[in-house]
Amino acid sequence: MDFEEIEHTADRAFRVQGRDLSELLVNAVRAVHALEGIRSAGETSATRELEVEGIDSESLLVNWLNEILFLEQQHQVRCEKFQIRELNGFHVRARVETRGCPGYQTGIKAVTFHNLKICKTPVGMEAEVVVDV
Amino acid sequence: MVSKQNFVRAADCIWEIPRTFRDDMRVPARLYADEELLDAALADNSVPQLVNTATLPGVIGHAIAMPDIHQGYGFPIGGVVATRLPGGVISPGGVGYDINCGIRLLVSAASVDEVNPYLKDIASSLYANCPSGVGAHGHLHLSNNELDRVLHEGSRWMVENGTASREDLDHTEEFGRIPGADASFVSDRARERGRDQLGTLGAGNHFIEVDKVVEVYDQAVAARLGIFSGNVAVQIHCGSRGLGHQVCENYVSRFQKTVQDYGITLPDRELVCAPFDSKEGQAYFHAMACAANFAFANRQLLTHLIRKSFDQVLVGKIKNYELRQVYDIAHNMAKIEEHQMNDGHSVRVCVHRKGATRAFGPGSPVLPNDLRDLGQPVLIPGSMGTASYVLMGTREAMRQSFGSTCHGAGRVMSRAKAKKTIRGAELREQLHARGILVCTGSMSGLAEEAPHAYKDVSRVVDVVHKLGMGTKLARLEPVAVIKG
Repeated sequence: MDFEEIEHTADRAFRVQGRDLSELLVNAVRAVHALEGIRSAGETSATRELEVEGIDSESLLVNWLNEILFLEQQHQVRCEKFQIRELNGFHVRARVETRGCPGYQTGIKAVTFHNLKICKTPVGMEAEVVVDV
Repeated sequence: MVSKQNFVRAADCIWEIPRTFRDDMRVPARLYADEELLDAALADNSVPQLVNTATLPGVIGHAIAMPDIHQGYGFPIGGVVATRLPGGVISPGGVGYDINCGIRLLVSAASVDEVNPYLKDIASSLYANCPSGVGAHGHLHLSNNELDRVLHEGSRWMVENGTASREDLDHTEEFGRIPGADASFVSDRARERGRDQLGTLGAGNHFIEVDKVVEVYDQAVAARLGIFSGNVAVQIHCGSRGLGHQVCENYVSRFQKTVQDYGITLPDRELVCAPFDSKEGQAYFHAMACAANFAFANRQLLTHLIRKSFDQVLVGKIKNYELRQVYDIAHNMAKIEEHQMNDGHSVRVCVHRKGATRAFGPGSPVLPNDLRDLGQPVLIPGSMGTASYVLMGTREAMRQSFGSTCHGAGRVMSRAKAKKTIRGAELREQLHARGILVCTGSMSGLAEEAPHAYKDVSRVVDVVHKLGMGTKLARLEPVAVIKG
């Protein structure tokens, strides 16, 4: 697993790894999905282009996850396949494939910056992320 | 790390961490708790979070935590921080994502014994009429003009369309409308998220609960508020839904750069802030006020739907079941208030209450005429299946904590761990066996809110009562719970 849930008294939190920032972004979405307990995705699919930026890696990660959450919750879809088309500094452009999503077990209000730091590890990158539920 | 040894016992149930504990603290930190609640606070990351709030520019007095303190993000839940104006900051993370999450209490002149034969129908009607769950949509889809009016006028907008009474407004914090709202500072995305969510409960720890008043500690004051032992009460716990979440998210993201522009150094990026009087600080305040007004209107529309549910079931069957509003209070908010410091001089402050309740005492000019001699009712919900309390605000709260007190029981167990200890269906059966009906769309969400995941609310309330930061008025116990 590239992510695991970690203890948080009131909200939810996870630790996520990736070989690089691009993989970290994608794995973090999977971690969010795991926390949400999203049930099986529906049949219909669509492709969407996302463009997100931050002022550093951490803000890019938060803004990226919040963008995904908005897309999924507002349009009742789940983002399934990701193609990071461009990652330039703290700006990412991606193509995502979405499928209809019938419901969530846990609603995530937002991804926070609480104690967020993306650290380098011997095999890539790691971050601990707290989300408000 | 913070340990018990870092605290100084300033008085019974008052613990302080001196300013010298960390170089970046601008004021001491203060925690109101008995020994057991202090130990609970030290079990997670909440005390370091409290210390972090003592570093905010312009903070005065103490960085304060209530006995229901637990780990949040940025601020601890149960935190109160006042910053001096002008010069002090406002922090979106200090309010949180669910802006003006709060509690409303309604009471009936009917007794639970009278209503009991119809309770199952009432619970079903409430569940059917009050949309709940993750991303729930309401019965209204507001036009741009209507949404602007909700954001600017809050509950007051509901009077016009017959879903609020004057008494409802009088018995709502800020009379149901926070001044300073300007919808031009609310993003299109926030508007999109909120447009069809008015009158929805949401998920997580939000609920509608039908209660029985089981104990009244001051009959005369309680009677003034329509609270009588044995009677039906209803609590509503929810906030500003997706609109508020988006407002907070927008400004926490934006302020990551703002703190750099103002040269503000913080121990945690979720504490980002801006000088209150700066254009950035004002922009957030205008948007936050809009979200707060949306939350007041949300609880007001839910009140209407709850009254409708009672009508559907009880009309023609029992008399005097109508629901009268005791009060509605926020527990996630930044407010501009005047407070008197211990040296006697008055200061204008921005009070951040993050999981804390305003508790203004008798004589406060911001209270309506019929409550001014009593003080403000304070509503403290317990965990699901346990007691809740009605307190009255006090002058001591004005002196101790910028007119603030606790907001609930406070968690001690993570949601993940709670789900490992009990299944939702099992919990529902346990509650049924105790005479508590439960309607929920999520068994998993129900398990997360298991009563044993929270502190003992009676212990929390006893601390603030003992300290004079709220006087116990009545105790409620649940008979039916609606959860998202």
